[in-house]
Amino acid sequence: MIRFLVKGLLRDPNRSVFPVLIVGAGVMITVLFYCWVLGVREDITRTSAVLDTGHVKITTKAYGEIPGQMPNDLALSGIGRLVPELFRDCPEMDWVPRIKFGGLLDFPDDKGETRVQGPVLGMAVDLLTPGSTEVRRLNLAGAIVRGRLPEKPGEILVSEEFAEKLGVDLYETATLISATATGGMAVQNFILAGTVRFGIGVMDKGTLIADITDIQYALDMADSASEILGFFPDMNFDEVRALGEKTRFNAVYENIRDEFSPVMTTLKDQSGPGEYLDWVDRWIFIFIFVFILVMSIVLWNTGLMSGIRRYGEIGVRLAIGESKGHVYQALIGEALATGMAGSILGTFLGLGFSYYLQEVGIDISGMLQSAAILFPNILKAKIGSGAFYIGFIPGLGATVLGSLVSGISIFSRETSQLFKELET
Amino acid sequence: MLIIKLAVRNILGAGLRTWLNVFILSLAFLTIVGVQGLLQGFNQQAMDAMIDMELGGGQFWHRRYDRYDPLSIENAHEKMPESLTRLIRKGEATAILMTSGAIFPEGRIQSVVLKGIDPAQTLLDIPSAILQTHGEGDIPALIGSRMAKEARLEKGEVVTLRWRDIFGTFDATEIVVAGIMSTSVQSVDSNQIWIPLDTLREMIQAPGQATLVVLSKNLRNIPPDDGVFVFRDLDFLLKDLTAFIKTKSAGSSILYVLLLFMSLLAVFDTQILSIFRRRKEMGTLMALGMPRTAIIGLFTLEGALHGVLALAMAAVYGVPLLALAAVKGIALPSMTESIGLAIADTVYPAYGAGLVLGTTFLILITVTIVSFLPTRRISRLKPTDALRGKFT
Amino acid sequence: MKAITLLLLLLFPFPLYAEFPTGSEILKKIDENLVADQAESLTTMIVHGRAQSRTITSRAWIRGSDEAFVEYLSPAREAGKKMLKLGDKIWTYTPEPNDRIIAISGHLLRQSVMGSDLSYEDITENHRMLDLYDAVVEGEDNLDDRQCYVVKLSGKIRGLAYDSRKIWVDKQRFLPLKEERFAKSGKLLKTTRITEVFQIGERWYPKRMTFKDMLSKGKGTEYIIESIDFNVKIPEHRMTKAALRK
Repeated sequence: MIRFLVKGLLRDPNRSVFPVLIVGAGVMITVLFYCWVLGVREDITRTSAVLDTGHVKITTKAYGEIPGQMPNDLALSGIGRLVPELFRDCPEMDWVPRIKFGGLLDFPDDKGETRVQGPVLGMAVDLLTPGSTEVRRLNLAGAIVRGRLPEKPGEILVSEEFAEKLGVDLYETATLISATATGGMAVQNFILAGTVRFGIGVMDKGTLIADITDIQYALDMADSASEILGFFPDMNFDEVRALGEKTRFNAVYENIRDEFSPVMTTLKDQSGPGEYLDWVDRWIFIFIFVFILVMSIVLWNTGLMSGIRRYGEIGVRLAIGESKGHVYQALIGEALATGMAGSILGTFLGLGFSYYLQEVGIDISGMLQSAAILFPNILKAKIGSGAFYIGFIPGLGATVLGSLVSGISIFSRETSQLFKELET
Repeated sequence: MLIIKLAVRNILGAGLRTWLNVFILSLAFLTIVGVQGLLQGFNQQAMDAMIDMELGGGQFWHRRYDRYDPLSIENAHEKMPESLTRLIRKGEATAILMTSGAIFPEGRIQSVVLKGIDPAQTLLDIPSAILQTHGEGDIPALIGSRMAKEARLEKGEVVTLRWRDIFGTFDATEIVVAGIMSTSVQSVDSNQIWIPLDTLREMIQAPGQATLVVLSKNLRNIPPDDGVFVFRDLDFLLKDLTAFIKTKSAGSSILYVLLLFMSLLAVFDTQILSIFRRRKEMGTLMALGMPRTAIIGLFTLEGALHGVLALAMAAVYGVPLLALAAVKGIALPSMTESIGLAIADTVYPAYGAGLVLGTTFLILITVTIVSFLPTRRISRLKPTDALRGKFT
Repeated sequence: MKAITLLLLLLFPFPLYAEFPTGSEILKKIDENLVADQAESLTTMIVHGRAQSRTITSRAWIRGSDEAFVEYLSPAREAGKKMLKLGDKIWTYTPEPNDRIIAISGHLLRQSVMGSDLSYEDITENHRMLDLYDAVVEGEDNLDDRQCYVVKLSGKIRGLAYDSRKIWVDKQRFLPLKEERFAKSGKLLKTTRITEVFQIGERWYPKRMTFKDMLSKGKGTEYIIESIDFNVKIPEHRMTKAALRK
């Protein structure tokens, strides 16, 4: 029976190829839509997670009260012990120390005296350890405007706009003048390896990105960091697990009532992104719900019509003695087959496109005049677990439902009438 | 004319299926207009807020002033030229003087930007009048709610402020928080302390000086630059916001494409089917002498009518919906502060004529194209086959 | 009331003033102790931070009122850093691999030196107090079992970092055992205390001092003069930018 149906489907492209293509297209759009919306949701938090909050963040209690002032005298110490501990207790997450600092970047003339200088906000991350996740997470390679990524100690990146304003060239010596964690003046030479564009106004005015080991040395912060950020795999913020991790971690240090004891907060604790995420989730739910509903109507329509167009054939089959129930079953069976085939095809294609959009993204900088840019200008989709089945709701469900409804008319019509429809 | 009549009759005759397609199309149309309207409203509001609170109708900056370089303000103040002081006297401009200082909430140093503003000014929406009504004693200060949170200051609280006059001599005194203003414009809030202009001038011994001059929104004749104070227009001052909105618009366009795709799929599907099912009708029409092109025209028109009906339907249920959103606004949570733009709690969507017309045009064109594509098959149709319900 | 006061003043005109030298006399004597035409010193600075304390040693040469050269000796990360002050200009030098001379101006001048409670301005100060301030003796006090004059100083030139100061001057040794530095408004910004003194030749000189910024919560900075030589002959090239790189 099944072989019969499949053969029939394969031999009549009108019965198979066309509905499968339509269902496939519908499913593909659904999957793409779903992944895209998830990507947009993530984009909203990604920028702040990547740059600032992490999915979870550890600072000292005192630092956490006034993070805006970048009080590195209150930095976390003993990170050489703390980070491995975090990896041991929660190995699936990525734990990265960072230092934030302010200062002046000073470019000398050939006598080693100040030629130009400007204020910078610095971010020190692990740039140089082989296999460091930070370069990719910050999408630094994509943000390079001139030059290249730092490859050895002592190399830095600055905002292109800053470099342009100061009129400095690649591979020039740049001296960072800042304050050490103990408040002394820190002076450290770097080589300007490249310039980046972030696409975030404030950051493009003057940001410095350096390797954390260099900055630990420059700011006299050996074994210290402003903060340790924790990231879930694939940048996928998992609220429940983040909360669990926070509770577990803070319980360990609960009894130490020291202002230098580490405290963990989640992305949601930071009032901005947290509230925003709740809001976005509500809207995303509505959006996806409506979309699937509408797509179901479209595909239900397809199922309906593919039933209707075959009334003639059904008439013949009834005339040669097939029972109405059997014909109905066959119709549903075919709808199941086309729906399944279409859904699989559509999900496959949808996932394929989504994967491309997740990995490569769409670079909208062309629409924005400026060339390379860090964050919001590369739009990305995100494949959530729902992407694997969500397309089947309209693809299979709606198609079959459409057939079920249109097939009912088999029972209500006279054989002679259906046969007549074949004739005409 | 006949074709139009026929097309309308056919499409309306198709009943429920037509209305489903029309509904889906109208939904796509409304979503595009709605989301784009939200972004435009957002843009408009952020722009208005920045203009009202900070930018006015443009500003004259002291030539050494750079809003992104906190160190620049130390040397960026001078006496204003007569052209600007005249505007200030007429109430068409107001001067702002800046200097850096430090406050010591709970014994911890925090650097701040001190901004002097004329308490009597009404040009900016900053509630500077609070500074005027304050009595003798400590210097009254106006801060934003973000600043209040950062420094953990409350209204009426007293905090030590230290600064230097322009000659370098330290000075310090207590200031009292006379008022806390709530504003979406971060640049008048974070790390900013507003005090009366004349008090600040006295404090740093810079009588008659200003860092920048804000012009009235209604000012038509902008005086020429004098070399010391340089005019910055709104395009320059709003550059970051414009770039941000552009990014978001480009980002949401992907969603529009998918939505359109979905609704066009429905139309496409319907067209294919109706062409398949109405072979005999076509044969009849051909037999009666209607040229193929006219039949193609008829079917294309039927498809395209979906678009027209969708617009009509969107108008029926969409206009009240969008209007409600525009009046009531859409509540936003407090957004990430790192963006550094003015983001209000509630966004009121703004649907420009260009947006509505553009989207209408887009829907009509794409629907027509999608309706036309399946009809090409008709051109290969032989009337005899068609009459018998066959395709060649 | 007024009449009685006047009467008292007429009856006892001398005891109130006679045993007090004038403000300028006191300042002159302080300057004789503290201000040198030239000197070479070895000092230790202990900075008490919120988390830990640090000890920094340095060698300094001063000449006249506005020339100074400082070389940091320890800890290791500060060793080799140098600072030169000529007039109102200050340069710092950070040795190889940085090999940078940075002019300290404006905002940087106000930065604390090595995280201490002293700014670059504080640390290079070698002005005759007499040139900067008018002094009025306000009374006397007992401090650490030493008899002191309490002297109020008010700036007589424009642009002084501290508009006024109040010093407790040892009546015999003429060292300001305690000093309060005020903002123009009269608000107390900084205090210094001399807790140990020593004699070198004719001069009395502070051995151990404590600086504290009064607006912030810090624990202050200790400053110890390990040795000082007022008879040193400072070579001409010492006070040049070229010397920073040597």
